[in-house]
Amino acid sequence: MSSPSDAEVIGRSLGEPEVFGLIYDRHAATLLRFLGRRVGANVAEGLHGELFRIAFERRKTFDASRASALPWLYGIGANLLLKHRRAEARWLRASARMVASLEAGEGRTSAAALDARVLFPRAADAIEALPAGEREALLLFAWEELSYQGVAEALELPIGTVRSRLNRARARLRELLEPRGKNRVKSR
Amino acid sequence: MKPVDLAKKLRREAAFDSAALDRGKALLMAAIRQEVEPRRRPTVVPQVPYADLRAALAFLERAFGFREIPTARFVSADGELLHATVEVGDSLIGVGGQGHHGAISPMSGGVESQFISVQVDDVDAHYQHAIAAGARIANELRDHSWGERTYWALDLEGHRWRFGQRREVPPS
Repeated sequence: MSSPSDAEVIGRSLGEPEVFGLIYDRHAATLLRFLGRRVGANVAEGLHGELFRIAFERRKTFDASRASALPWLYGIGANLLLKHRRAEARWLRASARMVASLEAGEGRTSAAALDARVLFPRAADAIEALPAGEREALLLFAWEELSYQGVAEALELPIGTVRSRLNRARARLRELLEPRGKNRVKSR
Repeated sequence: MKPVDLAKKLRREAAFDSAALDRGKALLMAAIRQEVEPRRRPTVVPQVPYADLRAALAFLERAFGFREIPTARFVSADGELLHATVEVGDSLIGVGGQGHHGAISPMSGGVESQFISVQVDDVDAHYQHAIAAGARIANELRDHSWGERTYWALDLEGHRWRFGQRREVPPS
């Protein structure tokens, strides 16, 4: 017999609240990693507790036509992250420095290392500077590997809006990556 | 490099302690239980004063198995814990900073003017647990003629607690 879908579990938890523990068992590790990637492990643990508590309180509002609760949980997490922009920016910049030094240490030419030292912090700043909605869509797509549909469910947006947000985010980042001057004349 | 690939490069894993998942589960289940059980409103709620409220509260939970109701906490704007409520069986006990409402801790006052008597399911196990957590035993475990088995313990600041379990009186 197959195990019940998240939607069935949440449906049952309306009458038997303790059943909601199963949703935690299924998705807690994924969401703790998600929050950890965004703000680091220390801040993540507190947010993670808040996330599941909010999910439990709002379980009546879960759209039962969706089999998996994961995008919905990501959405709650994304909202919580909005209140922790500073921690997120700090973590992202630290990540950029780490990636840059890794790249530099991989026996590349010093020119490439120099590029990495300039490129990654610049990319971190660019991601940080994206409007919140674009940044969230980009990171759910690139880091969490959600599909367009998954991102749409998480952010409660039509799929077309997700597509256009991702395109705008890509365009903004691309401007940073292309050699100066070139992107000014090239038409897309 | 494509923008999305560049973003992917910046993805960094934060190491987390797997115990964090267990702590999260315990918190969630506690929150769920609170919703399930309607909040009890006992008629009488003892209020117990402490000089070091945070330490006292942690001790009561650790040594005596009292369970704090997290949502009932009062904290001042600068983060000082002012009052907390713990669940004990079907009762509630309030713990607060000393000096409020004239109540003081035996640690400063030098006398205990009252003690609290608590019924538990397994007084022997409770006794062992309290000792392991560093509780001072004031009166050892003993059986009484009226069919109760009790011990007395002092908490960190010298408040006296009596723990008892009623037993069937053996037919004589």
